[in-house]
Amino acid sequence: MSVVVAHPRRARRRLEHRLLGVVRSPRFARWSSWVAFLVVWQLSIPLLPTLLLPTPAEVGEFMWDEIRGDTVAPQTVYEAFGVSLVRLSIGLAIAFAIGIPIGLLMGLSKKATWFGHDFVVVGLAMPSLVWALIAAMWFGFGNTAPLVTVVLAAVMFVVINIAEGVRNVPKDLLDMGTAYDVERRDVIRHVVFPSLMPFFFAALRYALANAWKGLVLAELFASTNGAGWMIKFWYDAHRAQGIIGYALFFILFALLIERLVFGRLSARVFRWRPQAGALPRPEPVTAKGGN
Amino acid sequence: MGTISVHNLRKEFVTADATVVALENVSFEVSGHEFVSVVGPSGCGKSTLLNILSGIETPTAGGIDITEGERVARLGYVFQAARLLPWRSVIDNLLFVQDSRDEAARERCRRYLEMVELGHTAKSYPGQLSGGMQQRVGIARAFSIEPDVLLMDEPFSHLDAITSRTLRRELHAMWDATGKTVLFVTHDVSEAVELSTRILLFAKGGRLQGDIPVDLPFPRDGASDEVALAKAELLRKFESLDLVAT
Repeated sequence: MSVVVAHPRRARRRLEHRLLGVVRSPRFARWSSWVAFLVVWQLSIPLLPTLLLPTPAEVGEFMWDEIRGDTVAPQTVYEAFGVSLVRLSIGLAIAFAIGIPIGLLMGLSKKATWFGHDFVVVGLAMPSLVWALIAAMWFGFGNTAPLVTVVLAAVMFVVINIAEGVRNVPKDLLDMGTAYDVERRDVIRHVVFPSLMPFFFAALRYALANAWKGLVLAELFASTNGAGWMIKFWYDAHRAQGIIGYALFFILFALLIERLVFGRLSARVFRWRPQAGALPRPEPVTAKGGN
Repeated sequence: MGTISVHNLRKEFVTADATVVALENVSFEVSGHEFVSVVGPSGCGKSTLLNILSGIETPTAGGIDITEGERVARLGYVFQAARLLPWRSVIDNLLFVQDSRDEAARERCRRYLEMVELGHTAKSYPGQLSGGMQQRVGIARAFSIEPDVLLMDEPFSHLDAITSRTLRRELHAMWDATGKTVLFVTHDVSEAVELSTRILLFAKGGRLQGDIPVDLPFPRDGASDEVALAKAELLRKFESLDLVAT
C-alpha cells in the first residue's frame, strides 16, 4: 500500500495562487468597491456637521423594518410599490398602444416621419418633471395624473424605437419572401415582427426607465399613495433613512424587473443568437466526405 | 421542368444624378432539363435579371414568361448569401417558403435537408452553422418547394474553394436527379463550364452578347483536358466579344 503525502510548500503555493486569482478577479474588484463605499460612509458620518445623514446601518435597519411591515407610515412598502406598479403597467400599456401604430406609420412613410419628427424630438427631450407638474395641474390628486405622466414620459421612446425598427427590417429577407411568393401575413409574422424585437425591447427599457422617474414625481405632487408619495412622507417626517431607504428600494425594484422580466424574456426571445465565441456546429465525418 | 422566355427586356435604375441601364434589349429562352449559366463581368445586370424573373424587381420594358405547360411555373431561388431567417430553426426556414406546413411538407423539407447532408441540423439555428452549411440549407430550401425553375445567383462566391467544389457536385447531382430547369448566374468561367449545358454571355450595359452550348459529357472534371480546352475557348470568345465596353 502506498501513501501519497502532499508537499507542504507546494500546497501553500497552490493556496497562494488561488487567493491571488480571487483578489485579481473583476468580481472581487466590484465587491470591494461597495465595501469601501459603505466603510467610508459609516466612518464619515461623525465628521459631518449634520444630524440628518443616517449611517448605512440605520438605513439597513429602516429597510428591514419596512420589509417586515413594521412601519409608522400609512402604507407598507408592498402596498406602495403595488400601487405604483399597477399605475406603471397600465400607463406603459397605453403608451405602447399609442406608440406602436404611430411608430409603424413613421417607419413606413417618409411623410409621416417629417410630420411627426419635431414632436418626437420634443417628447424625448422633455424632462419627466415637466410632464409630472403639467399632469398634476390638469388632473389634481388621484390616479389620473400619475397615469398620464407615465404615458407622456414613455410614448415617444416607443414611437422612435418602433419607427427605427421598421426602417431596419432586413430588405434581403423581405426580397426572399417575395421571390418565394410567401403570403404577406407570414412575412409580417415571421420576418417583420421578429426583426422588430430588439427595437421593441429597447423601447420597453427606455420607456420603463423614463416612465418610472416620471411616476415617482407625479406621485410626489399629485397622489396620496404609491412609492413616490412615500418619499414625500419620509421627507415631511424628516427621516433621511426613509428617503435613502426608499431610493434603495427603487434600485432593488429596477434590478428585479431587469433580472426577472427583461433578462428571462430576452433570453427566451433571442435564444437564436449565437453565444459569443461559440463555434459553428461541426459537420459529421462521412464516408463520402472527400472531394 | 419549366420554360423561361425573356423578350426585349430592359431595366433602368433612375438615381438623383443619372439613369443607369442594367439590362438592354435582352431576349432568350431556356426550357426543359437545361442548366444555363449567365456569365459576365460585375455590373452587367446578371443579378438584376434574376431579380426581375423572381418578381423582386419590375422591368422597365419588355416581358417575361415563366411557365410549366399551361400554368405559371414555381420558382426556387438560391441567393448569393443564404438569406435564412436567423430566428427560425433550419427546418422552419424550409417550412417558411412552403404553401402549407402540414406533415407532408415537413417530411419533404427533411428529405431535402438529408439530400444536402444536413438532416442532423434541422433543429439548429442558422447562426450555429458555418457559411457553407447555411448555403446548403439555402439550396435545400430552393429544392424543397419542388420548383419547375431554379434561379441561382452566384451561390458559391462567398465560400472557400473546397466547400464550393463540394457544393457544385451536390448541386449537379440534385439537378440530374430532379430534372429542373436551372438559370445559374456566375462570374466564374470555370464554374460555368463545369456545370452548364449552355452559357449566356452578358456585357457591361446589360447586353446579351453570346449564347454558347457546352457539349461535354457529365460528370465534368475541372482538371481534365477537355474542360480546360472548353474554358480556353470560352475565354477567347470573351476577348473577341466586346464584353466590358459600355
